[in-house]
Amino acid sequence: MTAWKESAGGERALTILRSRPFLTVAIVAAVWIVASFVSRGFGAYGHLRYLVELGAVIGLVAAGQTFVVIAGGIDLSVAAIVTVSAVSLPLLSWQADPTGITAILAVLVLTTAIGLVNGLGVALLRVHPMIMTLAMATFLQGLLIIIAGGSAVTAENPLVHWLGNARPVGIPAGVLLWVAVSVIVLTMMHATSFGARIFAMGANPLAASLSGVPVASTTLAVYGISGSCSGLAGVLVLGMNGQGYVGIGDPYLLASIAAVVLGGTSILGGLGTYAGTIPGAILLVTITALITVVNASPGWRSILFGSLILGLLLLSGREQARR
Amino acid sequence: MNTPLSATQGRALYWPIQMRRNVGVRSLFAVVLVFLVAYGLLFPGLFTASGFAKFTQSWFPLALVAMAQAILMLTGGISLAIGATVSLGAVIAATTMAGPLGVAGGCVAVALTGLGIGAATGFIVVRLRLPAIVVTLAGSFIIGGAALLILPRPGGAVPAWLSDLLAGNTPAAFVLLVLIVALWKLYLATPLGLSLYAAGENPVGAYRSGVPVDGARIAAYAISGLLSTGAGLFVAAQTGSGDPVIGAAFTLNSIAAAVLGGIGFLGGQGTMRGALAGSLLLSLMISVMFFLGFTPVAQYVAQGLIIIGAVAIPQFRKVQQ
Repeated sequence: MTAWKESAGGERALTILRSRPFLTVAIVAAVWIVASFVSRGFGAYGHLRYLVELGAVIGLVAAGQTFVVIAGGIDLSVAAIVTVSAVSLPLLSWQADPTGITAILAVLVLTTAIGLVNGLGVALLRVHPMIMTLAMATFLQGLLIIIAGGSAVTAENPLVHWLGNARPVGIPAGVLLWVAVSVIVLTMMHATSFGARIFAMGANPLAASLSGVPVASTTLAVYGISGSCSGLAGVLVLGMNGQGYVGIGDPYLLASIAAVVLGGTSILGGLGTYAGTIPGAILLVTITALITVVNASPGWRSILFGSLILGLLLLSGREQARR
Repeated sequence: MNTPLSATQGRALYWPIQMRRNVGVRSLFAVVLVFLVAYGLLFPGLFTASGFAKFTQSWFPLALVAMAQAILMLTGGISLAIGATVSLGAVIAATTMAGPLGVAGGCVAVALTGLGIGAATGFIVVRLRLPAIVVTLAGSFIIGGAALLILPRPGGAVPAWLSDLLAGNTPAAFVLLVLIVALWKLYLATPLGLSLYAAGENPVGAYRSGVPVDGARIAAYAISGLLSTGAGLFVAAQTGSGDPVIGAAFTLNSIAAAVLGGIGFLGGQGTMRGALAGSLLLSLMISVMFFLGFTPVAQYVAQGLIIIGAVAIPQFRKVQQ
């Protein structure tokens, strides 16, 4: 009996070892260990904490992106939504509310509404998600310049400032926010019927709809979630940066998709977990930090970044032949 | 049933089939015509030789990248690296043509780079089974970085006579486009070209019928790269110099043009004439908005709305039926 128990335990250990999220965590750990030997100061607690803090923004954007990708879509408007959030929040900060929470809530409602419009286009008008969200990004880009002009706007919202700079119990508030969001996202994804519906829809939308999954409303919800996650990321990036400007969200489009795919979620939908996206986001920031350490010209930096992502994809992102 | 079609029968079939392939894009052609008339009214110079030349020149690079994107989407792929590849083509043209290689050597360098990048991308996507979206996203960083290495800031030069030939008061751009479309028709008649639609529509079925699916898809990526760097060469001739980020807008516009032209994301759906019409529509839209005095910002807003509308309305009608 003990032998049987051991083999079952061994099998479970093997499944965990073979899973994509674990692989990504292992890569991050390996990179951190090697880098801290090579470069002095890389492994310092303060530096690693800073990396995770930067990863929090990507992680938040990628949370919504993970939902959308698992449901079989893609959201190319996340960068524009992050910018909308970071630029419109300072404009909304009125004096009547000293905590600044109403402004944040208003912005989150706005970005969720943008996400819902994406969902409406995809679910009801049957526009391909890539086109719908690209067109939304183009639309928002124009709108932003009309609203904000070319200049940077400074945030005077106390809660936003706290989120970006405070360190309760030694951990940055942004990281705490990321942890909270991660717990909610993982619960929603793996422990609710909503999560199960998303996986079913991404794997086979027709079968899902025939088995009674409300495809239209689930699609709407998924894009709405992506909108609110990007909105939250915009609030955090505004807090860390102090100022919002047009283009502040641009790096997060590629980063969010790369984090999702590096974390082992299939870009074709129906397969994956946010548990992989989390180390994926940290891996991305680590790569960026390493490239900055190398101190190369912008051209080489860009080539290194692209090649490293491509190399990591070969390790963890290969699509299985599905049939 | 087994008697092979005689030549005359084959010819008799050709035109009805071509007409049937037009069905999906007929409304698009009508919209393009309306925009063309509107543009002609706003800008009567369109019908002079130089007006026509200028108009086709503003359309030409967009037409090339739309074809580059369409050929990939027909095989079920996609590229988010088109913009970076255009930039790289422009930069290579601007740095080689004034040097010892000369114009001919520069053209060869641009063409080889495009084919090489495309074939490499195709190999990674098809043979290593990585998702095209992510590979080309990462690729856009590598290609864009290479462009920055070659030319860190705008500069370089394209010989003045080449600029005059391609982007002066000559219809060279239009002639080139006609030539490229003719070459496309020829390519569709080769074994690889014939496999293109089959590989996109039903890869498994095509493979089992002996169609070289992998070869057709890798060739599509290579051709797409060639068209993209070619567009870069033309842009460099237009501006007279190279700029490492000049192609950025082409990624989005190439997808928009292909989708406006009725090319589907799943592969095997759509026609190249649709993609060309889509790129013409996009180019006309930008020109008409310019003449109506839209600010560049309002153009963004209108462009976003029009693309959603153009894609959504036919779908909506289909759902209601």
